[in-house]
Amino acid sequence: MNASGKPSLSQQIVGSGEDEPLVERLAARDCGALREVIALHAKRLHRVAWRMTSDAQEAEDIVQEALLRLWDQAPRIAARLPAGSEGTGFRLGAWLQRVVTNLAIDRLRRTRRLTHSDFPEQEDETPLADAVVEAREDGSLARALIAALPERQRAAIVLTYYEELPNAQAAAAMDMNIKAFESLLHRARTGLRQAFAEQGGVA
Amino acid sequence: MTNVNEQGRGGDPIMPGSALARALSGDVVPSLSPGFGDRVIAAAEAHTAPLPALRRSPGRWSGWKTGRRFAVGVTGVFVLASAAAATGLLQQLAIPVPSAKAVWASIAGTAQAAPAAPPAPVVAEIPATLAKVENDGSIDTPEELGVAFRRVDEVRQGRRAERAQIINQRIASEIERRRIAGLKVPTPQEEARLRERIAAAEARRQQLADERIAARREAIQRKVDSGEALTREGVVVPLRARPTIPEGSPDFERLRRMSPQQRRAALQAMPREERRALVEEYRARRSGAVPAPAPSPSPSADSSPAV
Repeated sequence: MNASGKPSLSQQIVGSGEDEPLVERLAARDCGALREVIALHAKRLHRVAWRMTSDAQEAEDIVQEALLRLWDQAPRIAARLPAGSEGTGFRLGAWLQRVVTNLAIDRLRRTRRLTHSDFPEQEDETPLADAVVEAREDGSLARALIAALPERQRAAIVLTYYEELPNAQAAAAMDMNIKAFESLLHRARTGLRQAFAEQGGVA
Repeated sequence: MTNVNEQGRGGDPIMPGSALARALSGDVVPSLSPGFGDRVIAAAEAHTAPLPALRRSPGRWSGWKTGRRFAVGVTGVFVLASAAAATGLLQQLAIPVPSAKAVWASIAGTAQAAPAAPPAPVVAEIPATLAKVENDGSIDTPEELGVAFRRVDEVRQGRRAERAQIINQRIASEIERRRIAGLKVPTPQEEARLRERIAAAEARRQQLADERIAARREAIQRKVDSGEALTREGVVVPLRARPTIPEGSPDFERLRRMSPQQRRAALQAMPREERRALVEEYRARRSGAVPAPAPSPSPSADSSPAV
């Protein structure tokens, strides 16, 4: 359980053992099944996307794209599942979690690349700096600290700290092996503490 | 917010209640905008349907694996076929191997009309008339000698006819083999000239044999007329005692028992005049100018009728 008293994403992902019928209905182009998926996962997926991008509209776009990808690939996913395969280990929440994480990382990289290449002479006007300044103005130090991290370190902190995923699941969500993920997480925590110290805080 | 990060993995976890944890928990995640679900459903319904799945699962047999197996198979068959063609195995099995010229002619459309069906290779059979003539007893009278000569003549006539038949069969099969293999086939004129040369060579051989047999028969006839009984050993000439090499000549006897390489070396080591004399004598003997000497008295198992 997280601070709000609701089941965490980790609990939801691990506990969802009846996703195969839902995937079968999605493969049969059942819009009701998609609506159920939205009701089950959209809020949590949106939370991850927002923590990553600090942009509500961008986060909604990411979640919508992830859901549409699920809609498109549901027949292929269902074809890979063995016949009558209930409890085969396929977790729809984990699949969506991975897609959202990767989409958010891609968007952050694209934004950084476009900013650096199109406006190389603009000093301190990248979205990263803007986000920091905006976060300070809003009084939200958390967003500033997260936004100061590189994309993958940001994802590691969001998945493990905010979403309370075990390292193994977070590594799977980022398509990494566990050792590489733990190294990434270590660097992310170190960077976070340094950024917090620079803001005058004491970790 | 409870921190459930694994202790000691990925560095020191962010402890709950710490200043950093409080700072990270300072903001509130906005909720999804109203109608988000409806927009997603509408976008999904308006979404273009994905392409149907491939008939073959892409993960099980990738194109490269199948292509590699196919390439290895084709290469293996090509190598085996090339080896068989190079060693003449296909020719021995009467499987036609077209030449590059024939293949190109078939591709270019200039190939001649192929025969309907290649005939089976002609195999010369050994006729029963080639059996040896056995003497069933001694020959004491001229009548018995005449009977023996007639029997030998019948066998010789049969052998001559069979030899001519085998020659014709070999010529026909060779021409057919060349035609199947796409090689140059002699024209009717060339074939006629070839047959004439073969017939002339055969006639020369027969003439030499007839002369040699006639001389041999005269000697035998004289023995019978003088009342001497002829035994098998007296009629049959051992092969190694054939009168192609004159007897009594120690050089010929010595050379005859040598291997071809030793004989060639011995001839080269001879004085020039001696070697020339030996060669001239041998040629004269082969051409029949010098009468054949008397048969060797030593019997041999490796013998055949020489009359």
